[in-house]
Amino acid sequence: MSYFFQLLISGIVVGSVYALAALGFVLIYKASRVINFAHGHFIAIGAFTAYALAVGLGLSVWIAAAFALVFTAVVGYFTERVFLKPLVGQPIISVIMVTIGLASVFGGLIHLTPYGSGNFSLPGFLPEGGVSFAGISVSYPQLLAVVFTAVFLAAFGWFFQRSTVGIAMRAVADDQMASMSLGVSVEKVFALAWAAAGVTAAAAGLIVGAISGLNLEGLVGIGLKVFPVVILGGLDSIPGAVVGGIIIGLLENLAAGYLDAYIPGGGTGDVFPFLVLLLVLWFKPHGLFGTEEIERV
Amino acid sequence: MRNPWTRTGNYKTSYAQDTTIFATYSEQASLAVFLIGMLVLPQFLSRGDMQILDLILIYALAVLGLNIITGYAGLINIGHAAFLGVGAYTAALVAPYLPFWAVLPVSGLVAAAAGAVVGIPALRIKHLYLAIATLAFQLIFEWAVGHSPALEQGGAMAMPRVVFLGYKVGFKNHHYFWYYVTFVVLVVMAFGFRNLLRTRFGRSLVAVRDNDRAADAMGMDPGRTKVFAFALGAFYAGVAGALYAYWSRAVVIEDYSLMISIKFLAMAIVGGLGTLVGSFFGPAFLELLDINMETFSYWIKTIYNPPGVDVGSAIRPLAFGLAIVLFLIFEPRGLANWWRLLRSYFRNWPFKY
Repeated sequence: MSYFFQLLISGIVVGSVYALAALGFVLIYKASRVINFAHGHFIAIGAFTAYALAVGLGLSVWIAAAFALVFTAVVGYFTERVFLKPLVGQPIISVIMVTIGLASVFGGLIHLTPYGSGNFSLPGFLPEGGVSFAGISVSYPQLLAVVFTAVFLAAFGWFFQRSTVGIAMRAVADDQMASMSLGVSVEKVFALAWAAAGVTAAAAGLIVGAISGLNLEGLVGIGLKVFPVVILGGLDSIPGAVVGGIIIGLLENLAAGYLDAYIPGGGTGDVFPFLVLLLVLWFKPHGLFGTEEIERV
Repeated sequence: MRNPWTRTGNYKTSYAQDTTIFATYSEQASLAVFLIGMLVLPQFLSRGDMQILDLILIYALAVLGLNIITGYAGLINIGHAAFLGVGAYTAALVAPYLPFWAVLPVSGLVAAAAGAVVGIPALRIKHLYLAIATLAFQLIFEWAVGHSPALEQGGAMAMPRVVFLGYKVGFKNHHYFWYYVTFVVLVVMAFGFRNLLRTRFGRSLVAVRDNDRAADAMGMDPGRTKVFAFALGAFYAGVAGALYAYWSRAVVIEDYSLMISIKFLAMAIVGGLGTLVGSFFGPAFLELLDINMETFSYWIKTIYNPPGVDVGSAIRPLAFGLAIVLFLIFEPRGLANWWRLLRSYFRNWPFKY
């Protein structure tokens, strides 16, 4: 039974990383109907910026993390300005392909730095050990990950419910024409959505850095795992991103924990989310909380 | 006076004349010259060049299939390499028992069956959701091959040598032989591709792409059309996969990964989505770019080569990504559009317009 709870804990931790990553993804989709295939690369940019500042320049981890959040937001902002803005109104495939192309460009740029290959770990800034309760142990980094995610989500919740910019972003997501006529700059909101997505992506990257090592392929892989999460939660639902993230994290860990023994080569955790994705698409295409689109001729 | 060699001296007197593919004799003649040129081309190329040319032709065949699914039917397919993979693994399994000319259609048919299965979600979902479903199929395919002992868990499965009319294909003539095979297959299938839009099915593909609700109201069956589009595109991919397997002499999962699927989409976009010439320009452009970037990265290494950095693995994705992004922003209709402009410049010769 303690094995089960151990899987449950690590599932929730991984799930909170997915939730944060998916949050940024959903922000972009909600505001501008763009599917961002470069999201994993944003996560990598955030994580490696923090690593470079903390290890290369010897800054405190917290300051490095703050810089990484800001830097990734700036990258997100300019990505939208330079590459996505010319494509407003183009067919979906153009928009999808431009983010795929950007993913390739970012991958190439990261490979130009020494972080393209190999494993890196942020310097330890938390005490060893953790909390133990009834035979189930939670390490401090894991605890931090969950708390950090919760704080982050709360901050974003406040941002969308109370701040003027957040309300403007929700308004644009709701009805572009109406918000435009009320004086909201839709262009600005698009760019801000990308900046906000950059922040959440960097946060996800930092948590990965805290609970395990950094590795370009692994970080980019999270960008792919976001798809099952957002499809399960609903592409345009922020609570869906959180719930979907936790559920996918749990399923992945439980599948890896119980099914790997029966499959030659293991690795069930990598494919299970995508099987879930296909099932969700088949039976409930708009996910748990997504808005159903009604189409007319 | 009527002059069937140029547009300017040509007028149409019947509907049939208006729907022909070749408006003038000079178009037919230039096609014939091009085909003959392609047939004699290997005489002037080295074995290394032939290898690249083979690859471009095989990818062109795959991109034709993708252009049926994504270009004609408008279904974004991020799992096209998996269809190639189904064809290639089928080829690896049946090649010891069948002659190669039978392996190709068998691989195509198996891939078409896989395509139809992948297309089933298209009955219910579309646009982005369908794109994500094909992405899931790609990843599940890679995982399934990687965990199948019968398929060497994604490791190399050797392809047998081919004997054709008592002629054994060996090391020296390998690329030449597969060039001609690929060329013949490509011409036949490109002919099919070009004529597809003139058929009832092809018309309904485009109608479903442009507005599937309206097509439904007009009495077409959008779901069935989409599933058929997937099956037909996957058939092209399966044949290309079998050719690729023979060409590379072994089947390895890395040749059918997500990266390759993305590459096919990029080729289709750079060439010009849903166009025949684009299906040739796209693979040629991106493959030649890739090879040139490899040489370019050797040059970069003399200037910038810090420890721990692999410049080669940085420059290639960088150039690839930039090519996609720049084409989408500045020439979304791809290289085929440049070809069209070039042709229309000469079309009305000797008049200006």
